[in-house]
Amino acid sequence: MTPLDFLYAAGAAWLAAAVASLLIARTPAGLRACCVLSAVGGAAAAAGGGWSLLYGDTAVVSLGGPTVTGGPLQLQATSLAGVFTALLGVVAVAIALYAPRYHQPSAGTSLYLAAYNLALLACLTVLAAGGMVTFLVAWETMSLACYLLILRHPRDLGAARGAFWFLALSEAGFLLVVAAFVILSAKTGATTLAGIAAHASSVPAGWRAAAYLLALAGFGFKAGLVPLHVWLPEAHPVAPADGSAFLSGVVVKLGVYGIALFAFRLAPPAGAWPGLLTMFAGAVTAAIGILYAMAERDIKRFLAYSTIENAGIIVTAFGAAMTFHAYRQQALWAFLLIAGIYHVANHGCYKTLLFLEAGVVEHAAGTRDMDRLGGLIHRLPRSAVIAFAGTLGIAALPPLNGFVSEWLIFQGLFQGFRTGSHLTGILIVLAAGTLGLTGGLAIYAFVRGFGIPYLGMPRTRQAAAASETGQPVLGPALLAVACAALAVGAPVMLAALSRAARTVTGVSLGPLLLPGKLTVIPAHADFAAFSPTYLAVFLVCALAVPVLIFLAGRPRAGSTRVPVWDGGIVSFKPRMQYSAMTFSAPTRVMFDALYRPAVSVTRPADDDPAGRSGPVHYETRVTPVFEQYLYRPVVRGLEWLADLVRPIQSGDVNLYLLYVFVVILLAYLLGAV
Amino acid sequence: MTPVTAEELRETIARQFGRSLHIRTLDTGSCAVCEQEIRLLTAPHYDLHRLGFFFTPAPRHADLLLVTGPMIRAFEVAARKTYDAMPGPKVVVATGACALGGVYPADPFTHGTVDAVLPVDVWIPGCPPSPLALLHGLGVAVGKLAEKVRDLPFTAPDDSERTRGDS
Amino acid sequence: MTLWFVRGLRRGVVTTRYPARPDPSAASLPTPPAFRPGQLTAGVADRLVAVCPGGALRRDDRVLVYDVGACAACGRCATEAPHAVTSSGEFELAATARSVLIKRIPLRGEAP
Repeated sequence: MTPLDFLYAAGAAWLAAAVASLLIARTPAGLRACCVLSAVGGAAAAAGGGWSLLYGDTAVVSLGGPTVTGGPLQLQATSLAGVFTALLGVVAVAIALYAPRYHQPSAGTSLYLAAYNLALLACLTVLAAGGMVTFLVAWETMSLACYLLILRHPRDLGAARGAFWFLALSEAGFLLVVAAFVILSAKTGATTLAGIAAHASSVPAGWRAAAYLLALAGFGFKAGLVPLHVWLPEAHPVAPADGSAFLSGVVVKLGVYGIALFAFRLAPPAGAWPGLLTMFAGAVTAAIGILYAMAERDIKRFLAYSTIENAGIIVTAFGAAMTFHAYRQQALWAFLLIAGIYHVANHGCYKTLLFLEAGVVEHAAGTRDMDRLGGLIHRLPRSAVIAFAGTLGIAALPPLNGFVSEWLIFQGLFQGFRTGSHLTGILIVLAAGTLGLTGGLAIYAFVRGFGIPYLGMPRTRQAAAASETGQPVLGPALLAVACAALAVGAPVMLAALSRAARTVTGVSLGPLLLPGKLTVIPAHADFAAFSPTYLAVFLVCALAVPVLIFLAGRPRAGSTRVPVWDGGIVSFKPRMQYSAMTFSAPTRVMFDALYRPAVSVTRPADDDPAGRSGPVHYETRVTPVFEQYLYRPVVRGLEWLADLVRPIQSGDVNLYLLYVFVVILLAYLLGAV
Repeated sequence: MTPVTAEELRETIARQFGRSLHIRTLDTGSCAVCEQEIRLLTAPHYDLHRLGFFFTPAPRHADLLLVTGPMIRAFEVAARKTYDAMPGPKVVVATGACALGGVYPADPFTHGTVDAVLPVDVWIPGCPPSPLALLHGLGVAVGKLAEKVRDLPFTAPDDSERTRGDS
Repeated sequence: MTLWFVRGLRRGVVTTRYPARPDPSAASLPTPPAFRPGQLTAGVADRLVAVCPGGALRRDDRVLVYDVGACAACGRCATEAPHAVTSSGEFELAATARSVLIKRIPLRGEAP
């Protein structure tokens, strides 16, 4: 019995769920049944993924005869993919608990669920792919299934636009990934991933670097590396909440998985510069991601940019790992791989949670605009607590899991001096500094992301009327528990990950990562140490101290309750509170070179005295720098090229007959040569 | 708050506030000359801080509310909110002839006296009260100085050099 | 900066010692009036009531009701009847009850 058997079970369950969705998901009972199947698949995937961390790589299995691709499916459960598979399973279970209460049973929902389960199956196959062709076919299936996911409401113009961006950039990335795989396959002569990995060192360094760069760019489209990220903020808001959760929680991670696959298994590049480039790309992505997040009012766009930021953090960790490997710091190589994968698991949990809660808010209050919400902590208490757990995690605040994984990544980056090269050391520390800026901005952004919708007073009637009855709670609650478990159980998780890292890198960290039962050190005993478990326990106990002081020292006599001190304003209106954009105004002013805000002020003519003769309209717009300066020129170039070529398709039958004649002539000539 | 006698309150105040007191000033529509005198208390000549008194803008941090002005009706809500926002034990001191009801009668725009809205514990007359009078009043409010005006008759004996018949 | 410091050292401490010790500047403060009951006939009392701008004086039959709280120490009553009114020299006027500030001064011929 191997982990692959669990993955077979998961795949079968998801296939059954997809088929069942098409047949029976138009009724509430049918919808629930499909979600149960999906959850069963998720549990199996989680078990299989977790086990494969410890088991190591299974053998490559060829399934069946000629399939769609003309060859058998080649599957292998690897320990590198273990965490990703486990994350896929946990996310699937959480979404399966969430979906019955979120979706209304209908024809559209049944199609959507079928596409979703197909996407789950495709993701599983990507992660369990043992052969190149299997990988590519599964990758493309996943892209197409996700396109259908995003296009849940086809008549909505915004949905069509978002889905199109996703598909277009997916295909662009796919081309580059195919090129990378073809190079490696041609140079090593193998088509299974294990075969390519075994012969990786025989590929000339130049070709390996080229393959790696193509893979970085190709998978970077999916992972959301800047400037390849533009589909994320377009696609996430239009997809249903669980679809966005799936995209951010799993699909973006598959891009990261692809980069890790090439960086650590298939084409580990020689030299330090690919690692430095990756690290630079990741750091820039992280900083730009969170900066754009600060300017967003739509909760889902905000979370989408935050996903870009976290993908950048993970890729920075991987890049730094590669750099350390080039300087023969093997312990730090394995350590940063572990830290990056741990952050994958953590981010998957809390980002999925936050997207699911965004869906709850959207259904309860009718809007995703933060400036129309407020005070939801009173109307949606359970959702607010769960969202708070997710916010603590993503802002990397102790004691939750985001803090642990970011601590690990920072400690790894701070040891840049161990490379022995001054320049590299400085560059690694610069990356650490950028991540530090990102971390600070992330806390700021998520104080805004939680505080504006949930705290304060409701800014609109819909927000004041939001109700929690009938809203899904179990799915997000499961993820919140997972976040806490990942934090408190960090030593266990890291032990399992170090087993996986040993399989991938051959480096056994053991006491260099976990010297005691509960303490974690960053690959060197003389640098830093901390215990996530003790910290979590300590913080919880420390919270008890003010409670005890209050209970002991509160006045025995009765106390009066009076309203919050608001400066004595006679009638305090909710519009007098902070709004999402005013809260982020300092950042937007400081970084206006990035945002390039376009401000327009219109006031009525003969406005004298100023402001008294009618309403003044003030509008500020963040310039979409990448779409305007990168994508639009490319699209215009393609259109120009297409215009050049158009005369060929003139519509004149005689010309077409001439083409046929010329081609046949050429074929004869070439055949004769 | 459970009602306490004035004596108990004064004992509490002397015990708790004798060393350090935070004062929140409240202008309910005065001409601001009382405010100038109050502000003068922080100047080096009078130096409020050497007595342990401090000004604070936040009612949540304040122990004593120093009210000036005739309590115009437009300010009533804000005055009540400020008073309610102060945690007990708290003292209200009304100062200036306006706040004591002297200058303005009650009419549609003003209550005329602070007592109409807030429960006043100590009254400091003057127009404006000099900083020395304010210091004395604050000392009475915390129970450190004795109240003198109760025993002052405001009478003087006849001046023998200047006796005149009435005209 | 140094000049200020030196000047300050030369000048010495300017902070008043009040309330521990009396403050010499208190002697020049404008203070509420004190009345000489021996000079207060009904006619004088009525003139004083008429001239007081703040309404601190009121005649109640044979008693001059004087509200210390409403008094602005403007001095008009002292100018009007200098033989009947003098400065009291009292500035420590804080009271814990409003009624304590209302003084009843008997007119001439009345029992105090």
